[in-house]
Amino acid sequence: MNAIYWWLMLLMTLSSLAQASDAVLDRPPERTYDIVVESGYLNVGLYRDFPPYSYLENGEPAGVDVAIGQRIAEELGVEFRVHWITPDETLEDDLRNNVWKGHYLAKRRIADVMLRVPYDRRFAYMRDSTGEVVNDQVVMFGPYQQEHWQIAHDAEALDAVRTMAVFQYHPIGVEIDTLPDTYLSSAFGGSLRDSTQHFRNVERAFDAMLEGRVHAVMSTRAEIDHQLARHADRPFRSATNGFPGLVKQSWDVGMAVKHTHRELGHVIEAIVDRMVREGEIADIFARHGLRYSVPAYYDGILEMDEET
Amino acid sequence: MTYRSISTRFTLGTLAMAVSLGAQAVTDQDILNDHATVDDVVTYGMGLQGQRYSSLDQLNADNVQSLQPVWAFSFGSEKMRGQESQPMIKDGVMYVTASYSRAYAIDARTGEEIWQYDARLPDGIMPCCDVVNRGGALYDDLFIFGTLDAKLVALNKDTGKVVWVKQVADYQEGYSITAAPIIVNGKLITGVSGGEFGIVGKVEAYDPRTGDLLWTRPTVEGHMGYVYQDGEAVENGISGGEAGLTWPGDMWETGGAATWLGGTYDPDTDTLFFGTGNPAPWNSHLRPGDNLFSSSRLAIDPNDGSIKWHFQTTPNDGWDYDGVNELISFDYEQNGELVRAAATADRNGFFYVLDRTDGSFIRGFPFVDEITWAEGLDENGRPIYTEGGRPGDPAATEEDKGEPVLARPAFLGGKNWMPMAYNQTTGLFYVPSNEWSMDIWNEPVSYKRGAAYLGAGFTIKPANEEFIGVLRAIDPSTGEEVWRHENRAPLWGGVMTTAGNLVFTGTPEGYLKAFDARTGEELYRFNTGSGVVGTPITWEMDGEQYVSVASGWGGAVPLWGGEVAKVVKDFNQGGMLWTFKLPSENGAQ
Repeated sequence: MNAIYWWLMLLMTLSSLAQASDAVLDRPPERTYDIVVESGYLNVGLYRDFPPYSYLENGEPAGVDVAIGQRIAEELGVEFRVHWITPDETLEDDLRNNVWKGHYLAKRRIADVMLRVPYDRRFAYMRDSTGEVVNDQVVMFGPYQQEHWQIAHDAEALDAVRTMAVFQYHPIGVEIDTLPDTYLSSAFGGSLRDSTQHFRNVERAFDAMLEGRVHAVMSTRAEIDHQLARHADRPFRSATNGFPGLVKQSWDVGMAVKHTHRELGHVIEAIVDRMVREGEIADIFARHGLRYSVPAYYDGILEMDEET
Repeated sequence: MTYRSISTRFTLGTLAMAVSLGAQAVTDQDILNDHATVDDVVTYGMGLQGQRYSSLDQLNADNVQSLQPVWAFSFGSEKMRGQESQPMIKDGVMYVTASYSRAYAIDARTGEEIWQYDARLPDGIMPCCDVVNRGGALYDDLFIFGTLDAKLVALNKDTGKVVWVKQVADYQEGYSITAAPIIVNGKLITGVSGGEFGIVGKVEAYDPRTGDLLWTRPTVEGHMGYVYQDGEAVENGISGGEAGLTWPGDMWETGGAATWLGGTYDPDTDTLFFGTGNPAPWNSHLRPGDNLFSSSRLAIDPNDGSIKWHFQTTPNDGWDYDGVNELISFDYEQNGELVRAAATADRNGFFYVLDRTDGSFIRGFPFVDEITWAEGLDENGRPIYTEGGRPGDPAATEEDKGEPVLARPAFLGGKNWMPMAYNQTTGLFYVPSNEWSMDIWNEPVSYKRGAAYLGAGFTIKPANEEFIGVLRAIDPSTGEEVWRHENRAPLWGGVMTTAGNLVFTGTPEGYLKAFDARTGEELYRFNTGSGVVGTPITWEMDGEQYVSVASGWGGAVPLWGGEVAKVVKDFNQGGMLWTFKLPSENGAQ
């Protein structure tokens, strides 16, 4: 027997010991880039039941984030596996439960990379009152879309939405405990509060619009576009109004990995960056019937690319 | 979802046989008399009124120094954290729940396990507030408790076999159960827990033998209550009369007010008392109005779930003061008259004494050292809000962090879930409380499920360098703090008191402690190896007085960061049940 054989045996033993001890210690497995490639699969963290981003259609994962996750796995040469995320109260919670620590009821259930993570340097470097960086256990990277707020309206009940003032007179639906909920319940001295109706999700808000119980729905542009496409037979329209006083009008969306898995993040970042630049992400959105905006992160960068 | 006990075991030793042969059914009479009988504990609260008072005095201030452990029992597996349960005792068998929705029967003489039941929790379940369970109910030959996925499970108390399982609410909508159900006149009464996902609180009665729903009472104004007759739902009046009286728009539909701490019962007035949690959404500026019946005490008719009266401690709650705290019935004499009173120590820092026959306010006073959000209470017990004491209006939030408001107590409360006790001999309440404050602001740099969000930023801070926890003896007739015992870490365990002039409680540092009920002098401490956040009990067996308490650090405190985390970060996990008595030669003196 040669030394290399024994060296390999030792390595295999050590690595299986490491995996076994993760199980014994009930901690998430360390899946670095090499281990992901060697294992032959990638756990992609995606929000559960969240059309048009990630959801089940006829029992199969579907949506733009699913399509992006599949392309990442394909480029890495590994199998695409979905790690469904049940959203908690905030993004910090989701990152803790799904990217670095694991939820206290399922500590070993973890994603290798999570999608639909807003890309915001202020959030990434936010410190708590003791001066500690709040999200220091994850790396947020790779913005691939800019998301916006959007209103859809029933043109039969409300012919146009030029300003938010119409919602003093027309009922509007929102998903409960979202920024549109807070905005409609607090802006303009609370004058839209009584017109605001709350639903568990955007789909139910559109159901209410079908029944005439609300005349408009406010949510993210992609969710609105998706519902408009589903209800193409109805006179539902995308509104053109602005949102005065709304604290955040648009934001970039990217990805996150555990901070000890930066190499995996760098490889995925390069894949997704190419998909943004070559228009592949835009194609995925178009294929799903959704408008697409390049992340603000690329402002100036893409124009410079074209000039050079 | 199927449930099964994954490790039901039978101990076939002769002692266990003797135990099961001696096991009797638990009757309504046993439950109604629980406060007066010393040889069993068949209710959560050591009596339905929840006084947690025992007339036993064999163990007393003169001999408690000799108290020694007789056995310890491990809850097993890696699921150690968060043991907030109160054990129960019947015919020499201890029944206790543990975190992660587990239940056990244990031989109370030896600590040997008779059976164990592990609820099979669904994958991806996300209970809001740790994995705790606070206890169960005994009735007939059943042991009944609630699970993290919002089910009631009835087990045969002698075998641990499942008799029935009933879904109380949908965990996917954000519901859970962590509190102990109670039995009142043959009905099983439970509340529900829930996070910030737009749930509506409720109190429900079930047939304990079958799990059939008998009545349901939503705790938010505008929702219809029902009584079930032969499986048919019959309308029994809208909570609060009609929708929209104290809520704007449709917010009553998702108003919160979870009944997550369970309730107590007063046989004198035949009334259930349930506390209700904070209203939703979190920011009070979005929902001008009192937002009934959030942060209230509700008096409910156990026969059909009708609301008899309510008392709201924090109208338009803007601090997460979540007024679920237990309302404990007690009697006292004033000017020769018997007063049928009830007392509660609220998360908001005020102690309230109410007339339990009609809910009218008798008196109220702060039980913590300082309250910033209110200047006091008016003649009806309604808070007089401090100007500028309310967290900011989101409409005023700019791109930068909103103006922070300092509020004291912090949202974890002057007193949280942990039950206080009332001693009939001293006439004092023993209140496990905490001294902390919070900075709170609107946080525009926040995100939720992939979208921009306006969250609340907050940091919770100890009010003093030396201590956070304070065990207080409070005279309910004067508001006087008779004594106090300070503890470095926040107190998170329940209290029990006895006619032996003793007060028992545990600390996160791991100690079970006993105090002189009149002076507050610490008379005894035993280190259980992990933080004590459970509630002790005492009972008599074979002529000797026993004390039991669960140990296992966890609950809400370690889930929050900030300055408080520095005090508790080195506490080790553990999941044990400890039982104590005096050495036999000291007993029965």
